[in-house]
Amino acid sequence: MNTHEWESKLIDYIDGKATKAEREVVEQALLHNEAVRNLYNQLTEIIGAMNEARVLEPSGKLKANFEQALQGEIAAQSKSTKTVHFSPTLYRIAAGIVLLLVGLAIGFKINQSNVEADRLAKLEQQLEENRKMMLAMMDNQLSASQRMTGVSVAYQLEKPDDEIVSVLVKAMNEDTNTNVRLAALDALGKFSDEPVVRSELIGSLKVQKDPVVQIALIQLLVKMKEKSVLNQLEKITRDAGTLKAVKDEAHAGILKLS
Amino acid sequence: MPKPVKSIDLMSDEQIMEAVKNGNLQQASLLFDRFQKRIFNFLVRMTGEREVAEDLTQNVFLRLLKYRHSYNPEMKFQSWIYQMARNAFADHYQKQKQLKPANMKVEKLHESLPDLTEALEQEETEKRLIRALAQLPDDYRELLVLTRFQHLKYEEVAGFLNMTVANVKVKVHRAIGQLRENYFELENA
Repeated sequence: MNTHEWESKLIDYIDGKATKAEREVVEQALLHNEAVRNLYNQLTEIIGAMNEARVLEPSGKLKANFEQALQGEIAAQSKSTKTVHFSPTLYRIAAGIVLLLVGLAIGFKINQSNVEADRLAKLEQQLEENRKMMLAMMDNQLSASQRMTGVSVAYQLEKPDDEIVSVLVKAMNEDTNTNVRLAALDALGKFSDEPVVRSELIGSLKVQKDPVVQIALIQLLVKMKEKSVLNQLEKITRDAGTLKAVKDEAHAGILKLS
Repeated sequence: MPKPVKSIDLMSDEQIMEAVKNGNLQQASLLFDRFQKRIFNFLVRMTGEREVAEDLTQNVFLRLLKYRHSYNPEMKFQSWIYQMARNAFADHYQKQKQLKPANMKVEKLHESLPDLTEALEQEETEKRLIRALAQLPDDYRELLVLTRFQHLKYEEVAGFLNMTVANVKVKVHRAIGQLRENYFELENA
């Protein structure tokens, strides 16, 4: 046997993949053949070195960068989902339906309102499903990033309904993750012209304990020129348990609103 | 409309990837957690550069998102992602054609190894191993990284390298033989 053939036999032997007959051949050679013995020792060392090579840890920024890219992709996907009803294909389908209805109306005098109502019902059903998915994401207690995505989708709405406002308020006041609370505040800030939202934002100032959210909330209420929070801001400046940075923001808010 | 996914931790890689393909993009995060270290280690052994390997790992997972619609659920997810990692490395290598594999930044990789408290001798052994590995042709190095450093089975590697299992075994044995020669030549150098 040449060196390559011995190497192959010895690797199988070291890997525990040799048959009984092959093992006997190798073991005999190890006893009587010094060259094979040297080869065996070297292969054992190199295979051992590979087995013991360290597993390297990627840096944390890899995960952070990926999550950022993923959220971008999710946002892009939800945009395309939102516009699906206006795609050219659906335009063509809609146009087809209209033409069909006109034809039917002329030819068979069938009332087109039933067909149109069906189409609208389907669109409404689709919108309702999207809405339910968004609410389910915001309610996902296992994943902060899912809740974050749900809140981001809510942010893109033109006008939220009461249930969405209520979920956003709950996220702003109670979510365990600061980023989700801030995102919910951001979304509510966008809808602050709605009286219900405005009142919830004012109320949150009394219950909010997260300093990061408190500061953002004060800034938002000042931007909204909400003078009714002046008393609450004063209370914050006197509260011994509140962080100095929050008190400073409350002071600044009082100055701007007074 | 993506369906809600339950008991995610119990789902196979293939089931999760199918969910991603069907629009449940957030689940890609779980695949990232399961595979980022393996793909990073494959690429760091292939390139010899930690930063390049991180960039390429990022690139692999971006490809996963971009090409999610082309995923065939009958294919093992592991094979698919390793195939993308190989493509990412090949694209990088094409761009860096003037740099030969032997130019792997051995010292740089060695410096970036975790500061563990093993004996100096073991560090020397690993440093020599990295050098010997860098001297191998790409295909031999790739086979050893996959089968010996990443501990993939010959059958798994044969699947995505489009080779027979017997052929993989023969080439791995030759690669070990070549690595042995490089390694002990460096010891005597």
